[in-house]
Amino acid sequence: MTKEISAYHLKNIQHYYGNTKVLGIDDLKIEKGSITGLIGPNGSGKSTLLKLLAFAQKPSMGQIFYKGRLELPFSPSIRSKITLLTQKPYLLKRTVFENIAFGLRIRKEKKDLEKKVRKALLNVGLDYQHFATRFWNELSGGEAQRVAMAARLILKPEVLLLDEPIASVDIESAGLIRQASLNARKNLGTTLVIASHDLQWLYSISDQQLSIFKGNIFSTGMENIITGPFEKSDKKNLIKKLGDGQIIQLNMPAQTSCAAIIRKKNISIDLEKKPGSDKLNQLSGHISSMLLEKKNKTIMATISIHDLSLILKLYPEKISRLDLYPGKKVILRFASHDVEWI
Amino acid sequence: MDFIVAGFIKAIELLIGGDHATWTAVWATLKVSTGSMLLSIGAGLPCGFLLGYFDFKGKKHLRTILDTMLALPTVFIGLAVYAFISRQGPLGELGLLFTLTGIAIGQTILAFPIVTAITATTIENIDQDLKLTLVSLGAGRRHIIATCLWEVRYGILAAAVTAYGRVLTEVGISMMVGGNIKYHTRTITTAIALETNKGQFADGIALGLVLILIAFIVNLSLSFLRKQ
Repeated sequence: MTKEISAYHLKNIQHYYGNTKVLGIDDLKIEKGSITGLIGPNGSGKSTLLKLLAFAQKPSMGQIFYKGRLELPFSPSIRSKITLLTQKPYLLKRTVFENIAFGLRIRKEKKDLEKKVRKALLNVGLDYQHFATRFWNELSGGEAQRVAMAARLILKPEVLLLDEPIASVDIESAGLIRQASLNARKNLGTTLVIASHDLQWLYSISDQQLSIFKGNIFSTGMENIITGPFEKSDKKNLIKKLGDGQIIQLNMPAQTSCAAIIRKKNISIDLEKKPGSDKLNQLSGHISSMLLEKKNKTIMATISIHDLSLILKLYPEKISRLDLYPGKKVILRFASHDVEWI
Repeated sequence: MDFIVAGFIKAIELLIGGDHATWTAVWATLKVSTGSMLLSIGAGLPCGFLLGYFDFKGKKHLRTILDTMLALPTVFIGLAVYAFISRQGPLGELGLLFTLTGIAIGQTILAFPIVTAITATTIENIDQDLKLTLVSLGAGRRHIIATCLWEVRYGILAAAVTAYGRVLTEVGISMMVGGNIKYHTRTITTAIALETNKGQFADGIALGLVLILIAFIVNLSLSFLRKQ
């Protein structure tokens, strides 16, 4: 049996803006027809990654393979197959019809144009009669985003990259955009890569989650990033004081670093503190949210510890055993040596 | 004050009466300004696009030179063109001195940096998401260039109008290179200068009115185009 080629394979990618490194990926694969969620704070490198995946930019270093072939921006074999929708998409200074038909006109696909535009508008919940002849400046933010989505869906893309597609739209538009993107995957087998702060949505639909922090990508999904300031407690340890007086103790990094990762697999949850060694952090907080992960049927729980939020993965049995629910007070434990500095 | 009022009345008489000297100056002005505008847009638009769209080594220096050229005095351009196309000049054999073509060359040099600089600024100010959108919709380089230009068409029109205004109203080049020859290279502005020197205010005002009328028609046409 031959193994199916991935939609994307990124190798040794490094991308710089000027002298600043904004993205570093050693090896990353995105499977065909999958939904990948991109999670990370603003400025972490999500948009840059999406631009590279859209072949709108060439990485400063490294290679991007699309369906097994090394590709570069403007390559005819990828044009129109991969499309990107940004948070605030640019609408051409034309009518809605012309905006949606633009991609097809470029491809010289002029047959049944009106029918296709009508269908594309319907996909995003807009009525052809009311919207086709409107100009770009006669639309609300949500309508403009839906028109931009329709302009991409009409191309029947192999890959749809969505960069915060629902961040600045109304609830109705957000719902329609979500549904339209999922329909593309269902009906066309489109590979979706979605960057969004809507974790509930991402966890419920995505096959894999990638988290990005300062250009570093973690294929295990969202991980806990603890940023400074840190204080030196002794020769081997640093501490971070939380606002409520609790202290996190972390092993000293080998070289100067500004942020630490505590992987969710290394965090355990309990209801009471245990007498332990000094090397064990035991933090008291409460569960602020619980999200169901579609793929493994696990629960992603967020624990608020004063001004810090930590996430960990929980299995249903554990949740039942400890009777966990949002708002419940819990204790999180992790060892001070279970830290990776970035 | 009376001579100004008399000037207006005479102006209307000259224009309505089809005064030959007045109308040949108008015609010469239209010919050279249109010719120089076509040349400067033909050269300035692609240069402005390249300068605004791409980043390359020496771009800042090129931009500084271009911005300096915006302030070129018309008499200096006139002098330089005169030096090149006069009998002893390197292009003397072409016989361009005291011709409308000679004036058009000078005016092209005047308008070129205006068209180029405004186009470059307009292109530089294009929303960064436009290119990204075009790439995501499958546009190739040719489509990206054409669509970017179309998207900023009003900015480019503004460049053309600004350059046209400068060309239409300049005196130095027309006077020095054209020689202000009646019925031949006399333009509206050189005629106004001459008539004012002679104390013929009415003729000067008549020609001034025509100049304003031309500028008004050009702007009105562009305004109409924008609405379309």
